[in-house]
Amino acid sequence: MTDVSAASQQLFDMWKKQMDEGAQAWTRLLGQNPTPTPDPLSFWKPAMEHGLQTWARIFATTPVSPDLMAQWKQFLDQTIEAWSKALGQVMTTDAYARAMGKSLEQWLASYAPVKKQAEQSIDAALQALNLPSRAQVTSLAKQLVDLEERLDRFEDGIAAVLRRLEGGKAG
Amino acid sequence: MAQERFADVVERFANGYADLAAASPEILKKWQDELERGFKRMTNLAQMVQSPVEPRTGQTPREEIYRKGKARLYRYASKRTHRTPVLFVPNLGISRPYIFDLLPGGSFIEHMTKEGFDFYLLDWGVFGPEDNDLSFEDCVVKILPRVTRKVLESSGAPSLSVLGYCMGAPLSSSFVASHPEVPVKNYINMAGPIDFSKVGIFGLWLDRRFFDVDRFIDTMGYLPADMVKAGFKLLRPTMDLSTNLNLWWNLWNDKYVEGFNALNKWANEYVAFPGEFFRQWVRDFYQGNKLYRGELVFGGRPVKLEAIDCPLFVVGAKEDYIAPPACVRALMSAVRSRDKEYIELPGGHISLIAGRGASVHCWPRVSSWLASRS
Repeated sequence: MTDVSAASQQLFDMWKKQMDEGAQAWTRLLGQNPTPTPDPLSFWKPAMEHGLQTWARIFATTPVSPDLMAQWKQFLDQTIEAWSKALGQVMTTDAYARAMGKSLEQWLASYAPVKKQAEQSIDAALQALNLPSRAQVTSLAKQLVDLEERLDRFEDGIAAVLRRLEGGKAG
Repeated sequence: MAQERFADVVERFANGYADLAAASPEILKKWQDELERGFKRMTNLAQMVQSPVEPRTGQTPREEIYRKGKARLYRYASKRTHRTPVLFVPNLGISRPYIFDLLPGGSFIEHMTKEGFDFYLLDWGVFGPEDNDLSFEDCVVKILPRVTRKVLESSGAPSLSVLGYCMGAPLSSSFVASHPEVPVKNYINMAGPIDFSKVGIFGLWLDRRFFDVDRFIDTMGYLPADMVKAGFKLLRPTMDLSTNLNLWWNLWNDKYVEGFNALNKWANEYVAFPGEFFRQWVRDFYQGNKLYRGELVFGGRPVKLEAIDCPLFVVGAKEDYIAPPACVRALMSAVRSRDKEYIELPGGHISLIAGRGASVHCWPRVSSWLASRS
């Protein structure tokens, strides 16, 4: 039992060390760029540290049984939650909202002429085939909606008159 | 050298595992159970991939009472032991309303009908380009008045209770506040945003500094279902990951898989917003907060929340990212009602209306509050 705990602790210490060294190597590599880059460690290290410590603690203290699966699931849940919180913090900033708005603006600016062109081509093709265009079908559907609204208004009027008549009888 | 040490550690770890398992019958039994679950997981996964079963949602019997445009009014079968009918007004667009009647044993509508309520659901429908002119105002002044009249006519009752969920709450509260002649006996707001200054992440993304709704609708004509989906997925980017992880974990459980299939079908079936509706929804509510400020005028009628004076029940969810509790609770101080109650339950936006937590914590609270006033 002690052997297993010690071995698992050692295994995770090594894993953690490898992760740290890997991250440092990436940081050094990115640091060679002339422009300063944000420190990737500062973003993911707290979540990763937390996860690794939990994972190592679980293996060091738990008897080896399928319960480990449940703890593994708990570990993943906590990791996902930590990422969700980290992402949530980014997404609730003005900078993120501005970036999202800007990319949507750019997309609309490029999409609008393409959409217009596509609609014109499709309309021309449908006209050549003597078929109604999307706009014509939509217009017909809108007329039906208007007709339904007018019928409803008639129905409302009749109902109001009937109510008045019934009120008159009762009076 | 490092590789050798790593291999040693793995070997010792693996040996220790085998030794310990052999030494303990209890642990062996646990491993056996785990293996059986593993096989069951594989069987269910194979079935989900090879021959997926279409979930049978919306099984509570109902009849269509009225239709207008894409909207449908349904009346559900029940013993109708309570005199006052309930009109349920859900969100328009975004998703389909079968979430409220997901599966037998896990259905809000089934719960309400079993409790003896004469229950009506307004299904706003799935919109196409022909509906792009439909506005929020149209829903409040053209659809909801007729729907309430149909409820009163078909039930024969002198008054009705109105229950708004999510966007259905600002829609129905705008209606109740601007139509004092409609005999609304009780009003319930479940996770419906009222004070949009506290609406959270969507409020920030849709802020007029970052989002030009007029340019968007003038270009697109409407808000497509795929964009609605993208918006909601962005709200919780890790949601799919944890959903799939939970599915794998519970894949051995047939009941869980059945519920997952139904909920997953709903969660991936998004509904587009009509263009004018979305324009007004963003401009007047998210950007202008006009409902809470009392600045709306629909069909020539001022929409003042203080005009609501019937008994009020408000339900917020602690971890609701779509309608945070603060923006839902705001209705409490905005109305004139004396009989009013607010509860805040654990979970998120959907957990008020679907899932085991809802059936235990939320639905009985709603039905018991309403029963004593119906």
